[in-house]
Amino acid sequence: MVHAWIVRVTTPYAELATTTNFSFLRGASHPEEFIAEAAKLDLKGIGITDRNSLAGVVRAHVALKEIGAGAAGLKLAVGCRLVFADETPDILAYPEDRAAYGRLSKLLSLGKRRAEKGACLLCLEDLLEHKEGLLLILMAPIKLTSGFECSLANLAPLLHRSLWLGASMPHHGSDKKRLAKLSELSSAHHVPLIAINDVLYHIPERRIIQDVLSAIREHTPIEKIGRKLEAHAERHLKSSKEMVRLFRHAPEAVSETIRFLDRARFSLDELRYEYPDEPVPDGKTAQQHLIDLTWVGAAKRYPNGIPDAIKATIDKELNLIEQLDYAPYFLTVNDIVAFARSRDILCQGRGSAANSTVCFCLGVTSVDPAEIDLLFERFVSAERREPPDIDVDFEHERREEVIQWIYNRYGRERAGLAATVISYRPRSAIRDVGKALGLTEDVTATLANTVWGSWGKGISDSQIQQAGLDATNPMIRRAVAIAMEIQGFPRHLSQHVGGFVLTRGRLDETVPIGNAAMADRTFIEWDKNDISALGLMKVDILALGMLTCIRKALDLIAQHGGKRYDLATIPREDPAVYAMLQRADSVGVFQVESRAQMNMLPRIKPATFYDLVIEVAIVRPGPIQGDMVHPYLRRRQGKESVHFPSPSPAHGPADELERVLGKTLGVPLFQEQAMRIAIEAAKFTPDEANKLRRAMATFRRVGTIHLFQQKMIDGMVHRGYDPDFAARCFKQIEGFGEYGFPESHAASFALLVYASAWLKCHHPAAFAAGLLNSQPMGFYAPAQIVRDASDHQVEIRPPDINASLNDNTLEERVDGLLALRLGFRQIDGFRNEWANRIDTARGAFYPNVETLQRRAKLPRRALILLAEADAMRSLDLDRREAAWEVRRLPDAETLPLFEAANADELAEEPLVTLSPMPLGEHVVADYQTLHLSLKGHPMLFLRDIFAGESISPCITMASLPHGRRVKAAGIVLIRQKPGSAKGVVFMTIEDETGIANLVVWPSLMERFRRVVMGARLVCVDARIQRSPEGIVHLVVETITDRTAALAHLSGETMPTSLARADEVKRPIPEGTRPHPRDVRILPKSRDFH
Amino acid sequence: MPLVVVGKIKGTNVIEALDAVANRAGLSLGMTLATARALHPTLLVAESDTEADRAMLEHIADWCERYTPCIGLLQNNGLVLDITGASHLVGGEVALLADIKTRLAAQGFTTCAAIAGTAEAARAIASFGDSRIIEPGMEPQRVAQLPLAALSISENLILSLSRLGMKRIEDVARQPRAPLAARFGRDLLIQLDRVQGHIIGPISPRRPVPTYIAERNFAEPIGHDDDIHRSILTLAADLARLLEKHGEGGRCYELTFFRTDGAVRRLTVETARPLRDPKGVMRLFQEKLDTLSDPLDPGFGFDVIRLSATKTERQDIAEPGFDGRDGIEEELSALIDRLCARFGANRVMRLMPRNTHIPERAMQRIPAQHGNAALTIDWDEVLAPEEPPTRPIRLIEPPEPIDVIAEIPDSAPIRFRWRRVFHAVVKAEGPERIAPEWWRGEQDMMTRDYFRLEDEEGRRFWVYREGLFGRETTMPKWFMHGLFG
Repeated sequence: MVHAWIVRVTTPYAELATTTNFSFLRGASHPEEFIAEAAKLDLKGIGITDRNSLAGVVRAHVALKEIGAGAAGLKLAVGCRLVFADETPDILAYPEDRAAYGRLSKLLSLGKRRAEKGACLLCLEDLLEHKEGLLLILMAPIKLTSGFECSLANLAPLLHRSLWLGASMPHHGSDKKRLAKLSELSSAHHVPLIAINDVLYHIPERRIIQDVLSAIREHTPIEKIGRKLEAHAERHLKSSKEMVRLFRHAPEAVSETIRFLDRARFSLDELRYEYPDEPVPDGKTAQQHLIDLTWVGAAKRYPNGIPDAIKATIDKELNLIEQLDYAPYFLTVNDIVAFARSRDILCQGRGSAANSTVCFCLGVTSVDPAEIDLLFERFVSAERREPPDIDVDFEHERREEVIQWIYNRYGRERAGLAATVISYRPRSAIRDVGKALGLTEDVTATLANTVWGSWGKGISDSQIQQAGLDATNPMIRRAVAIAMEIQGFPRHLSQHVGGFVLTRGRLDETVPIGNAAMADRTFIEWDKNDISALGLMKVDILALGMLTCIRKALDLIAQHGGKRYDLATIPREDPAVYAMLQRADSVGVFQVESRAQMNMLPRIKPATFYDLVIEVAIVRPGPIQGDMVHPYLRRRQGKESVHFPSPSPAHGPADELERVLGKTLGVPLFQEQAMRIAIEAAKFTPDEANKLRRAMATFRRVGTIHLFQQKMIDGMVHRGYDPDFAARCFKQIEGFGEYGFPESHAASFALLVYASAWLKCHHPAAFAAGLLNSQPMGFYAPAQIVRDASDHQVEIRPPDINASLNDNTLEERVDGLLALRLGFRQIDGFRNEWANRIDTARGAFYPNVETLQRRAKLPRRALILLAEADAMRSLDLDRREAAWEVRRLPDAETLPLFEAANADELAEEPLVTLSPMPLGEHVVADYQTLHLSLKGHPMLFLRDIFAGESISPCITMASLPHGRRVKAAGIVLIRQKPGSAKGVVFMTIEDETGIANLVVWPSLMERFRRVVMGARLVCVDARIQRSPEGIVHLVVETITDRTAALAHLSGETMPTSLARADEVKRPIPEGTRPHPRDVRILPKSRDFH
Repeated sequence: MPLVVVGKIKGTNVIEALDAVANRAGLSLGMTLATARALHPTLLVAESDTEADRAMLEHIADWCERYTPCIGLLQNNGLVLDITGASHLVGGEVALLADIKTRLAAQGFTTCAAIAGTAEAARAIASFGDSRIIEPGMEPQRVAQLPLAALSISENLILSLSRLGMKRIEDVARQPRAPLAARFGRDLLIQLDRVQGHIIGPISPRRPVPTYIAERNFAEPIGHDDDIHRSILTLAADLARLLEKHGEGGRCYELTFFRTDGAVRRLTVETARPLRDPKGVMRLFQEKLDTLSDPLDPGFGFDVIRLSATKTERQDIAEPGFDGRDGIEEELSALIDRLCARFGANRVMRLMPRNTHIPERAMQRIPAQHGNAALTIDWDEVLAPEEPPTRPIRLIEPPEPIDVIAEIPDSAPIRFRWRRVFHAVVKAEGPERIAPEWWRGEQDMMTRDYFRLEDEEGRRFWVYREGLFGRETTMPKWFMHGLFG
């Protein structure tokens, strides 16, 4: 049997079955990699077909544009592999035009909306309903069953001229026979045969990755998974020549791919974004409506007449908005903000367009444009034609109301949250890969733990060894190598924190919408990069705890006879507020309460609003990695003269950067400035600068970053800039990467810094109550917030059944000052509803616990919590007595008979004498129930012990000279190991007098790791380090764990028998139970890595 | 280096046991593994194996049966022995306690043990006090100073009581009983009474009572082989009637001989299918008895012999079939059972398919008695059932090199030479491409392309090319891997 055949190398081919890694745990290459490889192989076209998903197509679309392969003749077909829940074989679906694309997207939305998150449930009928304009390829299974032949026979007449029979060469031993059979079926049913390779990866080397992904997907170690893996590495992208060779017995199948490609005309460029109509009243244009609203708002903002300068700015901005046709965008944002305002939900806009005068007039932001000079056209640029960017922060407790309102107003088919692509990071990668390769959980966990931070640079051999593992073990090495390679692989889609896409037409005809894990949430398949690449509009509806706190504090002030303030009417530029911030007295203040910010405050000494903008922006990865912080500080303190980097005279005016860097003393601090430098100094086009920013944001983009780096640095150096400055500018942009922090955001945040600082300065009780009532949020635990308030002369009153509400409240004192009354919410495990019942049924007074239980209908558990939190003092019962009392009460609802009688139902009982609780034990119990104590600091009771060891109280540290050796001890509040600090650990400890800040150098870490990472009470020998601004750190020399001393607090010592441990195994009954003494006394420290 | 044993509690790894080094290093029971690692990165960690712990404890309990038959397990790390009337056999309580400790120490165990009037009192003292013997009636005094944890009450209850200032057993014992009961329930008082030795709690013996037991007590202890045989057969018949009534058959039988002097001897046999035929059971035990390396020693005779079915399965009465092949399956399993009883279960093997693409690994040997459960194949066969097999039944091991003329890159051979004979290929099918299992880490493994060939005399061969031309090698090698019958 001899075949004579001639290779027609000229026959072109397009691969139409491509599974990317957006078919999670199936495809083993990025869409970008497929595009690049298809271009390299000179294919005519490539069709991206992920499983019931369009999540990867935008990336492919963008990649095609970026490498300019479209011009070289590579065409991208957008499609999807439909996988059915019934017996139907997989079908590839490609839309012929925009309308058909809409139907495909709707079909997928339908399947996704009726399945749970991440799944899609489709039946053949669904496809038939949406089939118009869809080009369909029926995928032949490897084993040609009669069921498949049935499917083909059924579908062929229904899908006339739009159905193809997809044939692949699976290399399963009888390919030729199978192809002949398919040929036969094809002509019998008049369905053209089309060649596909059904690829899973772009190059054969990825087979290993695909195998591992399969093992992860099937939750089976790779050694056991057997035939669920592909038998070989053939499912990679192949050249036309190779496909022609493989299909030499059916050459028409190869040429059919090109005919197919010609019909799959739809391109993502055809998606046209249109703003929703709702915000514009009938009979008015959007622009006119915006103009009207702006001037009405302006009149309100400037009751004494609008200044001419403002008038001019408004006109200029409105013109630009008209020119770019952005009025509907501003109106949409305004629509949402207006709703929030109507519900008294505090909100604040930020982002490139938010700090415009128009937004100030609309009330989208409260940052007065007079206070900060932000050039509007710098952010809404005519060149970029990207939609403007406004994020709106809402009170975190009430954001959901806004979100549900948006869904209601625009409908689920027109509004959807953007997606966030959750990708493999070093930890998750090594964990999954390790499991798939059959490493034990312990080894995998150890490997995962060697990666600090989220974007480590992989795991080095020495790291493996340090973790106590064998770096030469091939299995471990292989696991690490594979884990490195799948970093950045998408793992699943999740909802974006708050980015909403709203459209005029149906959104589900643009992109599939599916259910989120959270109830009542739906999100689309594309993330923010996809959205911006296609020019869709997104509004970020974000949650901010500080807004909740500020609103609650402002409410309390108004309730207690103060003025009714809002963000715009809080008195501005108050020197007392700045004086407080300069002292770094900023516990609880938005953004500037962290250790690093507290160190920065006395250095920057903010005195104006713009100083706060800088303060917010400077302690960020961008300026820190760009090494810009110290130059700025030196210039600010007058230690270094202000000059502006300039090009050599031949290349441009010396002051070309002065306009960019003027406000920041010649040092770039903001993201905008860094981008501007790329444009001005390295002569990037705005478009290139934008690409650079995007390349930074997504780490894995196929190797374009170093091209930009070279271009920018070379460009600047070539034009005569200092190479060092150029390199630092680039590093800064790198630092902005994912956490870009532009000036416009900083300005909006600075307003909240000011507002919260003003509250802390003038209304400390209301501020503390606001903070406590908005927990969990911020950097400090309730204990520190309460202590700080108390340090600012606020009287703190304990929770009590006859005085407290659920929230923390204010009480007026005889001297007119306000005291802070702790609420029941501070009691661990106490329910809101119980608190409300206590309040409503209180009447004048609860005389005893029986009445409390009867009237408020509290279960016994609630009463026990109250008693153990010592909240019954007004009944003349201390913690122990109260606990004894309430335990006697029956648990059920009051017996009806007794309720009728309304009488005390408990009989007399013999008198029991309880030993009084020592104060130290009270403090411990306070911490256990309330996480704080008003009775004293735990260290107070240990002071005698420590004083004997010549340990000084923390408060004395501030006055000691630089270099002095000291001993200090305290409870560990916070442990931090910032990524930018090269392994230095910062600890904050507290005693009854105050706090002390410890610095532990990496060299000490190995010796003291155990103590540093685990102790709750430490004692240190340290040296005082005092900065010129008077900031004091204790540089640790030795550190010891004194946690055991806490045991003294509970009054007596226990027989120590459990301390013994066996060499082998303890055959002691009940041995796994922690000793009562080991019950956690102090709340856990807050650790930040 | 410190050693800890960790187990999962609600998804987190928690230390369940530790050695003295770990204890000195500041680690403690109940600490999470993450914390422990932060404290001590070079920690040796073993995952807890509750079954192994349990097995070890059972083993110790078995061993302890030398002292008393009534032994209860306390969770996974303690034993309670009812030594009522048994201690005199080893010379009194003092001697007994010393004997247990010394003997267990010789086996590598540290023991905390105590003897008291009630199990709870003994446990409390052993766990929180020291090894000792409590004189009758002294329990309340001896437990007074112990922490509440010794009461074996819930964590929350301990915390509640200690918040009320009651931290030791005496603090609770001192209170009037009615108010305590009203607040914390009767169970607290019961537990208190037991620990103080006032009331005796039940001990649940550890050996689960099998559902199907047949037992004989002999007034006159027996020791003669014939007597023993006859007894076993009678017992098996008794048991068979019992099993038949319930439609069950035994998969595992245990025969226990109790010697007059207290020694216990157990024999177990397993079967491949449910079995209740007394002769069959007898035969299996006979095989076992005949091959015992340490023969049954009746000493002064057995006073009790017990036969129990410890594992049973549904066994319906067999309906005779029409093909006259009845009993072939049964006969085969009876044969397997007998061979296993004689040679050991791990010596009698059968072949089973294995889930892999690699031909020479596609079959494995497993113990014949385990056959039925493992027979399920949960992967797709590549070929439809009506198609002829693509692989030969027997493989040539190792594959033999052959010389081949074939087109590159992946065409079938045109002619080849095997064992010095030339074959011209007239028909060929393939390739079936199989890539190596890379995770095995075997060096230089290459992809194989298998072909089915037929020569001019109609002989059929299974050959493969090793190495993909171009991608893996420029000189692929060829091998003969099998013949089709």
